[in-house]
Amino acid sequence: MDNALLIQLLGSALAVALLVGLSAWARIARPSPPLDEVAARALLAEEFPDHRAEAVWIAGDAAAVVARAGDLALVLWRKGDGYVARSAAWRDVVAASPVEGRVRLAAVDGAPRLRLGERAWPPLEAAA
Amino acid sequence: MKPAFDPVQLAIPFFVVAIVLEVLLARFGKARAHYEPRDAATSLLMGLGSTIAGLLTGGAVFAASLWVYEHRLFTIPMTAIWAWVVLFFAEDLTYYWFHRLSHERRFWWASHVNHHSSTHYNLTTALRQTWTGGVAGTWLLWLPLSFLGFPPAMVAIQKGISLVYQFWIHTEAVRRMPAWFEAVLNTPSHHRVHHARNPRYLDANYAGILIIWDRMFGTFIPEDDAEPCRYGIVRNLPSFNLLANVFHEWIGIGKDLAGSRSPREVIGYLFGPPGWSPDGSRETSHTLKARWRAREEVRGKGASLP
Repeated sequence: MDNALLIQLLGSALAVALLVGLSAWARIARPSPPLDEVAARALLAEEFPDHRAEAVWIAGDAAAVVARAGDLALVLWRKGDGYVARSAAWRDVVAASPVEGRVRLAAVDGAPRLRLGERAWPPLEAAA
Repeated sequence: MKPAFDPVQLAIPFFVVAIVLEVLLARFGKARAHYEPRDAATSLLMGLGSTIAGLLTGGAVFAASLWVYEHRLFTIPMTAIWAWVVLFFAEDLTYYWFHRLSHERRFWWASHVNHHSSTHYNLTTALRQTWTGGVAGTWLLWLPLSFLGFPPAMVAIQKGISLVYQFWIHTEAVRRMPAWFEAVLNTPSHHRVHHARNPRYLDANYAGILIIWDRMFGTFIPEDDAEPCRYGIVRNLPSFNLLANVFHEWIGIGKDLAGSRSPREVIGYLFGPPGWSPDGSRETSHTLKARWRAREEVRGKGASLP
């Protein structure tokens, strides 16, 4: 690797670091307040327009949602200032066991870890 | 190996200044832009990695172009203005078909999906470039230009000009350009639609510089202010992991091929539309759009659908 290329790469890496730092300083991420039932249902309707959420379970930190739609579990969890959406078989999702205040949904692509807080798991109200 | 005049290299300082401006204008409420630092980091590192990946394959690509040029049909002078005008249109048309192929066939989507994996739409998204384009072989589509007689350096420069043009359209800060501009050229509005994951906007606006190709080939969809663009891919990635961003679709193809039971399945998984599956159980753009249309029909909005 010649010196010019090395300098160019190091300069680029420095520029990346400075730009990321600037974007962090600016605090201009999308507003994404903790989820309540209304916000969760709106998000579910947007991500799963062909399914109707029968009941909604919101994680203890209000950063994730598990909703039942027939045999399906509709799952949303926070990533950065947005949410990732996945569906999986309801029975597989609710079979997950909590460990130290969190439940890892291995049946869901991406295997999110949801914080329980004071919320019961499996989600009784959603299973009812 | 690149020509001595590389528009992309020359534009890098402009890219940096433009990103700084976009962030500052958004910070002080003067322009619309959202930045999530980890998302921006992923985009910028993918841009840096893409440059390195280009160094690894660029020599072979340029050598292939030179070999084709040695067997050219005509000799087109690099100094003639008419040659640049013809190349501008020919290269942009090539770009349109490259881009369309990269969205509508999974093998090439596996390389191009990287550019769409951000859920944000800001100037750093423009730099979220593929690392595997050389391997995917889409550069082959530009070889006919050298076979016609355009010098490879000339083609490379025009490709660079196109890439530099496309940088500024990755922004929410610009709502609409003047009507004549929107009619002919690719704009932030047109390209927001291209990056949207709303079913109504899927597989649209493949233009590089000129939007006329989409209008001609029936892939143009205007931005509807009543339905704001939601950015990213149909199944947004669960993490900011850089390597997962770069290779996830290739890994998905590998897993599907490993489970294939017939040559038909192999071909379908490789060259079918993204989301193709033997039993049709997965979602493609076509099925997502069909379901969206059905929902709109039920709501009584069917008559005005694109």
